[in-house]
Amino acid sequence: MSQAHHGHQGGHGHADPILHPEVQMSSGRGYFSGFLISTLLMLIATFLVSSHAAPPFGLLLVITVCAGISIIAQIYFLLHIDISEHNIWNTVSLVAFIPLFVLTIGLTWWMFSQLYLRTMPPMPGMH
Amino acid sequence: MSGHASNNPDPKTAVLWDTEYHGHDVISTRSLGFFMYLLSDGMLFATLFAAYGVLSYQHSYFGGPTPADFVKPWYTFSQTIALFLSVLAYGMGMTALKRRSRGGLINGLLGAFVLGALFLVLDVHDVMDLAAHGITVATSGGTSAFIILTQVHAAHIFFGLLWILVMIYQVLRLGFTTDTVGRLLSLRMFWHFQAVIWVFVYIFVYLWGYMS
Repeated sequence: MSQAHHGHQGGHGHADPILHPEVQMSSGRGYFSGFLISTLLMLIATFLVSSHAAPPFGLLLVITVCAGISIIAQIYFLLHIDISEHNIWNTVSLVAFIPLFVLTIGLTWWMFSQLYLRTMPPMPGMH
Repeated sequence: MSGHASNNPDPKTAVLWDTEYHGHDVISTRSLGFFMYLLSDGMLFATLFAAYGVLSYQHSYFGGPTPADFVKPWYTFSQTIALFLSVLAYGMGMTALKRRSRGGLINGLLGAFVLGALFLVLDVHDVMDLAAHGITVATSGGTSAFIILTQVHAAHIFFGLLWILVMIYQVLRLGFTTDTVGRLLSLRMFWHFQAVIWVFVYIFVYLWGYMS
């Protein structure tokens, strides 16, 4: 881009917004990779679950891995979360967010599962 | 400010300060703020996932239908494809923005809109179908948690579709200004974030619900 804008880094302040690093980091190949990886993993998970290909616990492990990989691929390719100078604060806030997300779901689930264990009459199929 | 260590500057000609005020980076400031908003939106989903987690026991369904009875994995997979393609179309629109192609951007936004609308139509059809079989939020605690969680995600898609229409109008009307480009970047984050949330919803609510 040698469009001779004044200001040394395109995208600061009043410079041309198209030269802003967040516009320039769009990458067709990246978006396509994110799409392909997550679609293939969802296809695998759907196929395994709908054909009951494995016992439930094994199946749960496999689809959890599918979800994990495709989430990482989407966060990297689509949300551009990486350690580049421009994106580092997005990455820091995501890293700070993850424990909150996991604890909110995990602790709530743990409390209630212990509560049910102690207060519910035993029922077939309760886990 | 920039790179003193990289090469030895000539003290006679080196410029050690900026000669003009560049203003703060409006687009970066806004998009970091919007990313924070999306993460707090993620906490909203965390509470709904937690509620679904504690309301998906056998007794939560009060003897009524469970996701194992009413989830159709391949039907919901078609929703997944529609949403992922919509996200891809939006991304391709943004690469057209990088090339300053207004037509390419509008095509990407239109593609994202049509595929996102397809996702929503499939979702609404699914909910109507459940209701026709007597499965609503009132059926049991378990179905409440299931339907609220999936429909809060669908509501995000609905508002995202409205936002896409607004951006098509603004790009045609105002062109590529700092404001419109900044909003396109925020919408890109919002739309792509919905795909990440959908992976959680699809795997841990639809598929896991179907197999348990």
